[in-house]
Amino acid sequence: MIYDKPVFKPGGDRYLLIELGDELNLALNFTANGLADAIAQAGMKAVVETAPCFASLLVHYDPDLIGFADLKREMASLIAALGPSDDIELPSRLFYFPTCYLDPWTKACVEDYSAKITPKKWDAEYVAEINGLSGPAQLVRVHSGSEYWVASLGFWPGLPFLMPLDPRSRLTAPKYNPPRTWTPQGTIGMGGAASAIYPVATPGGYQIFARTPVPIWDTKRRFPEFENSICLFRPGDRIKFVPCSVEEFNEIEAEVSAGTYTYNVVGYQKFSVRQYNEWLVTIDAGKRL
Amino acid sequence: MIDVITPGLETSVQDYPGRIGFWNQGFPPSGPFDAWSFRLANLLVGNPVGAAGLECQYIGPTLRFGEATVIAITGADMAATLDGTPVLLWQSVAVTAGQVLKMGPAKAGTRAYIAIAGGIDTVPWLGSRSTFHKAGVGGLDGSALKKDSRIPVAYTSGTPGRSVKPDCRPVFSTDKRWEIEVVPGPDDDWIDAAGQERFLGSDWKLSGKSDRTGFRLDGPQWTFTAKAYDKLPENGSEPSNIIDHGYPLGAINLAGQTPIILVSDGPSMGGFINPYTVPSAAFWKLGQSRPGDIYRFKAVSVEEAQALRRRQDAICSMDSLA
Repeated sequence: MIYDKPVFKPGGDRYLLIELGDELNLALNFTANGLADAIAQAGMKAVVETAPCFASLLVHYDPDLIGFADLKREMASLIAALGPSDDIELPSRLFYFPTCYLDPWTKACVEDYSAKITPKKWDAEYVAEINGLSGPAQLVRVHSGSEYWVASLGFWPGLPFLMPLDPRSRLTAPKYNPPRTWTPQGTIGMGGAASAIYPVATPGGYQIFARTPVPIWDTKRRFPEFENSICLFRPGDRIKFVPCSVEEFNEIEAEVSAGTYTYNVVGYQKFSVRQYNEWLVTIDAGKRL
Repeated sequence: MIDVITPGLETSVQDYPGRIGFWNQGFPPSGPFDAWSFRLANLLVGNPVGAAGLECQYIGPTLRFGEATVIAITGADMAATLDGTPVLLWQSVAVTAGQVLKMGPAKAGTRAYIAIAGGIDTVPWLGSRSTFHKAGVGGLDGSALKKDSRIPVAYTSGTPGRSVKPDCRPVFSTDKRWEIEVVPGPDDDWIDAAGQERFLGSDWKLSGKSDRTGFRLDGPQWTFTAKAYDKLPENGSEPSNIIDHGYPLGAINLAGQTPIILVSDGPSMGGFINPYTVPSAAFWKLGQSRPGDIYRFKAVSVEEAQALRRRQDAICSMDSLA
């Protein structure tokens, strides 16, 4: 649910976690990102940095400049002053990502996990089954059927936490228990109701069933998209996964290594929450694509 | 320049407070584990408290100084010698060009800090010289020192013969047991009363499977409140699963049944609960302990944790030098 009043929770001597609700709901993410912007615009010296996520905002503050009780009061008044999320309209880039679904690399990774850690059904079959889909082919259709909203970045530099904008593509899945010790770079997976792209080979807990050859972070900044940051995305961007074959994956990967790849980014659109909400009521959210 | 003859065990360039302001992109601050010892080392050689220095872990490096300078070593005792003559800890010491500083395994404590007058002058990355090994950024080419690395130094004059007053130095455990302060929260409401009592009343052993991203703890099982079970599927089905949220640095992150203290290179976000948080003033104890050591946690309030921080900041000042 969306809480009537935000819940303020302490994190040691210098963090405050503000919980806005306990469900995955775009309105909550708009509020979390809106609050982060409001804090930045208020120019509060006592706030060192913030980290918005799906339904919460972590505030890192300087306890020499503000006490915990005063900070909570300041945050409550900023939240109260936030306009309705319906009024939010923000520039939103759309990234098209060539994506090899049901790819051999994540399949091999799951097989390795099954052999060495604990036996497990192939993630694509498992996620399809628990979501009532006919099988991996429908999973590909459903997962690639929506644009994804970059709700926040975190866990690893540049890793995007994603939500499908089309509720007909919404899927849920438990996280691995225990987590994987490795995941191929560029893997796309999901856990809870969120999807993510793994920027580099890291451990992980999401169910995995696709891979992209296009880098989402680049310490060497070889491509113009990384001019201002080594992380490709920022909150409010959107991603569309475009299914591709293994052959296409290999071709694009070669272009990436040669430095000749061109990112497919649409930069002329704005995201209007009001228009999005108006569209939402016109569709049958329970009907799979 | 300083030439690295032997690198020691993962000796790295760090500054204080590290890479701040990028948590919302997933960049950890890195920086020294024991900022108390680190800051005093800088003050001894006349640097600002945050200047880049070296963090040595378990086994220190052997270094040759290209130019005359002033250095100070604080933190763990690694039996440092300068051309064979023992170097006193917690003191500023003059070094002549060509002298060799040799350090060995840590005897008391785990991490030693070397400050050099003027500070280390590597190219800052996102505003900090701290090394973030796992991503290969910051510090000296994004990694720990290697044999034959050359460390650039912004040499300035320093004053030898200064020392830290004995009662201003951190006191390291000699019996492998540490009392670590924790502030309950943010997710203490997911742990039932028995689980909270068990956490605060039990010994927790620091696991060998710890690194700069997290300190894993071995100990008793956790038990949960109804909140951990009665939740929407987007949280994930395990009791410790929650909708992904921002993690405080120092959080005791519960992955399944394994608590992991998120330290300087830790993740900024994720989908596990954080029932307790180690406040910044207790980080030096984490940095000076080692796998096999036993932690006992002591609950303190937010205000108490902030008072401890103020006290430690006050100690890390010129008033502590003689």
